[in-house]
Amino acid sequence: MYGTHSKRDLSLEFQSQIPILRPSIHARRANLTVKFQDLYGFTVEGNVDDVNVLNEVREKVRKQGRVWWALEASKGANWYLQPSISEGIDLKSSLKFSVLANAITLKRLIRKGIPPVLRPKVWFSLSGAAKKKSTVPESYYNDLTKAVEGKVTPATRQIDHDLPRTFPGHPWLDTPEGHAALRRVLVGYSFRDSDVGYCQGLNYVAALLLLVMKTEEDAFWMLAVLLENVLVNDCYTTNLSGCHVEQRVFKDLLAKKCPRIATHLESLEFDVSLVATEWFLCLFSKSLPSETTLRVWDVLFYEGAKVLFHVALAIFKMKEEELLLTHHVGDVINILQKTTHHLFDPDELLTVAFDKIGSMTTNTISKQRKKQEPAVMAELDQRLRRLNSIKVDEN
Amino acid sequence: MSSEGVLRLEKVIHTLMATSGNKNINAKLVLLGDVGAGKSSLVLRFVKGQFIEFQESTIGAAFFSQTLAVNDATVKFEIWDTAGQERYHSLAPMYYRGAAAAIIVYDITNQASFERAKKWVQELHSQGNPNMVVALAGNKADLLEARKVAAEEAQAYAQENGLFFMETSAKTATNVNDIFYEIAKRLPRVQPAQNPSGMVLMDRPAERVASASCCS
Ligand SMILES: Nc1nc2c(ncn2[C@@H]2O[C@H](COP(=O)(O)OP(=O)(O)OP(=O)(O)O)[C@@H](O)[C@H]2O)c(=O)[nH]1
Ligand SMILES: [Mg+2]
Repeated sequence: MYGTHSKRDLSLEFQSQIPILRPSIHARRANLTVKFQDLYGFTVEGNVDDVNVLNEVREKVRKQGRVWWALEASKGANWYLQPSISEGIDLKSSLKFSVLANAITLKRLIRKGIPPVLRPKVWFSLSGAAKKKSTVPESYYNDLTKAVEGKVTPATRQIDHDLPRTFPGHPWLDTPEGHAALRRVLVGYSFRDSDVGYCQGLNYVAALLLLVMKTEEDAFWMLAVLLENVLVNDCYTTNLSGCHVEQRVFKDLLAKKCPRIATHLESLEFDVSLVATEWFLCLFSKSLPSETTLRVWDVLFYEGAKVLFHVALAIFKMKEEELLLTHHVGDVINILQKTTHHLFDPDELLTVAFDKIGSMTTNTISKQRKKQEPAVMAELDQRLRRLNSIKVDEN
Repeated sequence: MSSEGVLRLEKVIHTLMATSGNKNINAKLVLLGDVGAGKSSLVLRFVKGQFIEFQESTIGAAFFSQTLAVNDATVKFEIWDTAGQERYHSLAPMYYRGAAAAIIVYDITNQASFERAKKWVQELHSQGNPNMVVALAGNKADLLEARKVAAEEAQAYAQENGLFFMETSAKTATNVNDIFYEIAKRLPRVQPAQNPSGMVLMDRPAERVASASCCS
């Protein structure tokens, strides 16, 4: 059973089923598309080039693993499980050169990718989930799931509706066992935070967390730390106000960091939120291939929500020349969708995200959010009043 | 990373039919309606001729395009399929802004979804473009035994509110192409200046679109 106590290594299990893909000469000639499962069990359709890229990525993952083992050998086991730089190391300890050096090494290392086998441990610790869990009794998750069993709320109804609609066809998620585990995590969380309850989009995020974390309980805590600490407040609550704020900040950043693209898209009356909203709400899980998504999440859990801006900007930046040639909204969307779906090489994306976009501190982003909040609130409020006035007219 | 790679929206199908020396119309169309009413299924049926039992839930909105030949013109629909969950409604204005047409979808087996549809009608009437062609679709018409909303009731409501009404089934394809054809036929053919209705009439290829405005 894939319960709280079983520690099956799902990702490895999938991996062992996948033979190294060697496209035949015939496939090459015919430029066929092939269907195969990726590292996390998702069906991918791609051409021969995509398969080659994925094989290279697999090799790079292995190499990166060796770097981590070597560091562990020299720095000691678990050297990386220390508070993140962004969390602020207290002054005394930061004066210790080794701590600071470790933090810098770690940041660089994480941007190059956490080996899939270490992901659960590293995420759990560096994101703050472990700390969050340690503040409540050991039995919290089990008690919670027992206490809410059989309860029916609008959130549980919506969750039940979405279970078979979450990555349908996935070899584990789309089984009764997978549905049950995802249901317990989402329902449990909907009771933990009734302001959020359940928001569509979280189903995809929680599903991917389950695949990575391997235990339901750890996936639950990752979801909690994500919503309560990592992401901006109110991303998923009743009117998605946090999400509206992020979108406005993103538009400003695009204008600043990619002015040519921003100007061109404006001339087409293309609002970047049309595509970016889903990216931010699903944390790219519906748009990018799985390993690429998880590489984004590696950095997200260590450096914070500003990473989402880096990545979203990078997707536009990578296609700058092509985007500047578009005449129609539809063409812009096609370019962006094609790009995201084929980003099988995470380094291609992350190199642009961090080297070409330039640095942005969490601090400046916070300031920009503060600046946008009043406008968002006013806009949402105005809409609500307008809709209410319709109702009054009716009576 | 959909496991249904085949059904990704990335591939826009153009079924542009040969028409002799006539107009090409681009029209933005938005689908609105309750969660699970079948918005995505209707679009998938129209654009790809497919139906899948478990359609991924839509987050934000999804984009498709499809071209139809109607009488003397070809109409290229740029379709925004929006998310149905209540809290996503705050995003809706971004999608219906400038739309030339809308399909408001409800599920004939679900009374609440019909009530929700009426709210969308009101919102469009008060906020949307006044020339917008609005269709009301009573979807899942194949589920007759489970019907909760009478066709007559919806028809009467549509008439009162200046919409046109059809019962559809994304599953069996009944009336799906028809509703889009009907919209295409009703779109105003002549384009007012400044293009407030969200439609662009193109006599020539679109090279003239300002590319000079982008510089850095
Ligand atoms: N029997 C029947 N089922 C349908 C029909 N259209 C959609 N469905 C089913 O209804 C469910 C919801 O369909 P979707 O197309 O995802 O609904 P939606 O309106 O896009 O939902 P959201 O994206 O969550 O807002 C799916 O399981 C479909 O298979 C139909 O015409 N007949
Ligand atoms: Mg949908």
